Amino acid sequence: MNITQLPYIKDIYGFLGSDVMSGLVGLLIIAALVPLNVAALVLVERKVAGHIQLRPGPMEVGPHGILQTLIDAVKLLGKEMVTPGLTDKPLYWLSPIIVVAPAFVGFIPLPFSPLVQIKDVNVGFLLIFSFSSIGVISILMGGWASNNKYSLIGAVRSVAQNVAYEIPLLLSVMPIVMMTNTFKLGEIAQAQSGLWFIFYQPIAAIIFFIATTAETNRAPFDLVEGESELVSGFHTEYTGMRFSLFFLAEYTNMVIAAALFTTFFLGGWYGPVLPGAVWFFAKTYFLLFVVMWMRWTYPRIRFDQLMNFAWKVLIPIALVNLFITAIVLKVL
Amino acid sequence: MLNIKTIDDATINQRVYQLNLGPQHPSTHGVMHLLLTLDGEVVVKIEPIIGYSHRGHEKMAENRIYEQYLPNPARMDYLSGMIFNHGYCMAVEKLCGIEVPRRAEYIRVITSELNRIASHFIGTMDYAMGLGAITPFLWGWDDRENILDLLEMISGSRLTYSYGRFGGVRNDITKEFYDGTRKFIDRLRSRFWDYENLINQNVIFIKRSKEVGVISKEDALAFGVTGPTLRGSGVKYDVRKNEPYSAYPEFKFEIPTRKEGDCLARYQVRMAELEQSVNIIEQALDHLPPGPVRAKVPRFVTPPEGDCYVTFESARGAAGFYIVSDGTRVPYRIKVRAPSFSNLFVLTKICPGHFLADIVAIFGSIDVTVPEIDR
Amino acid sequence: MNTNPYGFNQYIKDILVGGKSLVVGLWITLKRLFTRIVTVQYPRQKLTMTANFRGHIEAIRFDDTKSHHCVACGLCARTCPSHVIKVQGEKTRAGDKKVGTRYYIDFSKCSLCGLCVDVCPEQTITFSKEYELVYYSRWDTVIDLMGRLEGSR
Repeated sequence: MNITQLPYIKDIYGFLGSDVMSGLVGLLIIAALVPLNVAALVLVERKVAGHIQLRPGPMEVGPHGILQTLIDAVKLLGKEMVTPGLTDKPLYWLSPIIVVAPAFVGFIPLPFSPLVQIKDVNVGFLLIFSFSSIGVISILMGGWASNNKYSLIGAVRSVAQNVAYEIPLLLSVMPIVMMTNTFKLGEIAQAQSGLWFIFYQPIAAIIFFIATTAETNRAPFDLVEGESELVSGFHTEYTGMRFSLFFLAEYTNMVIAAALFTTFFLGGWYGPVLPGAVWFFAKTYFLLFVVMWMRWTYPRIRFDQLMNFAWKVLIPIALVNLFITAIVLKVL
Repeated sequence: MLNIKTIDDATINQRVYQLNLGPQHPSTHGVMHLLLTLDGEVVVKIEPIIGYSHRGHEKMAENRIYEQYLPNPARMDYLSGMIFNHGYCMAVEKLCGIEVPRRAEYIRVITSELNRIASHFIGTMDYAMGLGAITPFLWGWDDRENILDLLEMISGSRLTYSYGRFGGVRNDITKEFYDGTRKFIDRLRSRFWDYENLINQNVIFIKRSKEVGVISKEDALAFGVTGPTLRGSGVKYDVRKNEPYSAYPEFKFEIPTRKEGDCLARYQVRMAELEQSVNIIEQALDHLPPGPVRAKVPRFVTPPEGDCYVTFESARGAAGFYIVSDGTRVPYRIKVRAPSFSNLFVLTKICPGHFLADIVAIFGSIDVTVPEIDR
Repeated sequence: MNTNPYGFNQYIKDILVGGKSLVVGLWITLKRLFTRIVTVQYPRQKLTMTANFRGHIEAIRFDDTKSHHCVACGLCARTCPSHVIKVQGEKTRAGDKKVGTRYYIDFSKCSLCGLCVDVCPEQTITFSKEYELVYYSRWDTVIDLMGRLEGSR
């Protein structure tokens, strides 16, 4: 008789394979991944920025500045959390929390490798997109509750920007869904065992990249927190750990966006020699490097030009792409 | 853009709000307070409030002898310190009738043009930073660092020079300076391509600068605007050509002008002026005459009674010194014409109707130095 | 966009030209990413100052007197715009020149203009190369030139 048929062991095995267990393991993965990612990313951004600008970036803490983010986190924890006087207290307190929560949810459907995936949700990326829309509300709350005209202008801009760029985002992913007939991210990644989708859909890839850069408020679309015009945008009045929560959310959103691009267009976990998860992360980090590289190269777009670009350039091209894909799929 | 004229005053007064682009802000170049009246994101009225850096330079002149006033002009416009210093020396020399040796004039021209290049780096790259491109700003500082090292070789300081003296300059240039300047010119010429392609041709940059902040020719002349701001609007006026002074008549250079009058035109004028300054420096180094660098003047000058006005081209426009002397060693009055003062107030005419993001761009493209406005 | 007739060809051309300029910009930044840095890590690497660098003034040691040549004429004190210099001297014998005995500068007000160095008839003061000056109190900024000269013997 198999040892697994014994009564107690069967219960334990049943428990280990169940959804609860995988949910717990998933939570652990997220709890480990998110802070590590952000810590590494902040440092990489500062180093990349430094070397593009002919200077070394952080060098003091740890060899070549590796421990810089750790010490920054300690510093931010130690700061006094000042609440300005006439702010709307409940909204002011809630805003950093709500901006960070959807970022955690986004890690659930991501296919890191054929075996490691927290839960292959059947609506897949729609989960991620719908939760990231909640982040917009929190920015608006933060800007309004700060009782500061600069924050308000930044928050209002962000709402319009996010709403406008969600449409090209979805429209550019639709051809992929049409090609693979599924929403599940694991199956989309599996379908790229032959040729990666970026060769089938280069225009959709570019539009997706631009749209996610705009959704995560990164340059050249960072007029929400435009440092030259509005002193710091919607997070002007936040200090200490609240500010670091906004930061955390921004970088986590970036990671999720890059991971989505990898899944849709760059073949997910496929790669020659190394295990799947390593290739996934390598591609994701390469994309993050490209996003940072773009930040330090381009100036900021003005608000009305941003909306023009979304409505008059990106959406028509995405629609044409969708149309052509539909015709080709039907004919072939 | 919102058409302000079609909305009546009562509606405007209920909708507008005021925003302080306050004295402390990441992109006002100095302590400048702009009181904006905004309707949504469109500016309805703009009011610059000055006086935050007033230090009383003109009053200080009434209590010091002429030599003791020499450090002061460089502190007024610290980005063209050398040019102001030489201008003040020119004014006193004109009043006293002192003749400056030719070698000193050539050295004055070389150092003034180096200072002009350094100032234009800040002017153009600060404008790019106001638009959001932070990287070219730091590259501009790297190039500027070479100039500051060169000027330190001969004068000893990097920002506030006190290098000119009545009758010439303080000390002669060294071989190190000569070789260093030649190397610097070659290096700078190879960098122009980088700036050109990263900034000038960039579609985002062009879209944000074209047709933004248009100063028409009549407005510019009515407000008394000078310098690259004026030349970007189509008027070909440069003090170095129209009212030549020092050794400038002996050099061949051009005055770049553009017709459009928007931010992009002013930026292009400044970048073109960089090239012209490099030409002037090369010609001056090629034909540097030998001789003394300082005329024999009494230790403490006593100009005769009278007054004189001398104008010269600083990096921001036509500056001038007006000195009234009553025959003693202490001047009776020194009045300084600061170009940024006249250039600033053209904002009140051109800004209404633009977005908030454009105000920062326009302010950066006019390139004022706020301590010069307040003196 | 603008009031000119904006045809379809113009639209496509704008997108392509714009896209090309963006890619060229990325290439320039990438090239600079791999060049050497130009900054100096200050406390660990220091730069040498040029010969003409203006630190605070100090007295020169001459070979014939093994000390300075200051005659306490007071020209430097009178020329200084900020009244930074205080000189005192004494005459040892009638007919001899005065010899400077005390020379103090209040460096917190000095503007490094160099007029004192220019005007000195004996050329006994010059600029030092000190730039690492940190003081804990206002009174430490008073520098005693004669004391520095003796102390550097």
